Amino acid sequence: MKRFVLFLLLSVVFVFNSHSQEGVKYGKKLVLKEKTPISELFKNPKKYVGKTVQVEGLIVKVCEKRGCWIDIASDKEFEKIRLKVDDGVIVFPMEEKGKKIIAEGVFEALVYTKEDLIEQGEHMAKEYGTKFDPKTITKGKTEYRLKGLGAVVN
Amino acid sequence: MHWRKLLRVLHRDIGYIAAGLTIIYAISGIAVNHIQDWNPNYKIEKSTIILDSLPKNATKDETVVYVLNAINEKGEVKNTYRSSPNELEIFVEGNTILVNYITKEVKQEKVNSRLFLKETNDLHLNKPKGLWTYIADIFAVALLFLAISGLFMIKGKNGIKGRGWWLTLIGFGIPLLFWLYYYL
Repeated sequence: MKRFVLFLLLSVVFVFNSHSQEGVKYGKKLVLKEKTPISELFKNPKKYVGKTVQVEGLIVKVCEKRGCWIDIASDKEFEKIRLKVDDGVIVFPMEEKGKKIIAEGVFEALVYTKEDLIEQGEHMAKEYGTKFDPKTITKGKTEYRLKGLGAVVN
Repeated sequence: MHWRKLLRVLHRDIGYIAAGLTIIYAISGIAVNHIQDWNPNYKIEKSTIILDSLPKNATKDETVVYVLNAINEKGEVKNTYRSSPNELEIFVEGNTILVNYITKEVKQEKVNSRLFLKETNDLHLNKPKGLWTYIADIFAVALLFLAISGLFMIKGKNGIKGRGWWLTLIGFGIPLLFWLYYYL
């Protein structure tokens, strides 16, 4: 019995240590052959809305509590895109911040009213303990993001 | 072997095997249940200091070295990112440093995972996927067996035909009452 338990535990350790060295995979396998620069998505959003695209960039922010979104830096300076995943389906750990990612997702356009943005700002300020002034929001906006399907982080 | 005796033997042995996972799932359950109030996976320390100066006309790499020395950060630099014309983010293992060129403010966000708790949460929420999905499924079936076999293990006035019936009814009633309260 002791030998059986020892064998079982060693098998578990082996299985958990035999991860691929080709990066950490999240969600579905990447299928697209061609990458789309993030700057191109922002330049011609109408062309890509509703389409699945593959992007590459640096992970610059990770959802602290649930790992349910990340921000990916664009190839263009001072630009980034949010990759949102369904809660629990993919969970990005905070350790991935600062690493390179290749991700696939559906490019989406989210239309927010002024009221939506104020509510969102107040929620984020509460969650992250930061200050938010509703007066800074003067009108609604369209936000573009990716609905994440799969990714590989190196 | 009488069926009730067999039930007790199976309940006992499956119970022993399920004990570890039940404890892990219970601890993680409490931890993630209160996710609105705390971060069950990470301890995050945020701090801000203002430097006396930043090197003028320095390259990005020179600024990185200067800032890391100034805050005594010895970790390996993973990458850097310019989030705006006035800001530079430096990603170090376990630390993110945000430098503002104008205000000379340096914000640090040190992240440490909660030992044991993060691992239990990862397993509970099936982060590993793959093989763990099947282990978790088997565990769920085992729990189902333990719950059902538990109902019929004892006969007599403390069994399912007596006291056990009323206690089981309370057990089903609690979620039912909350469901009626929240959804009707």
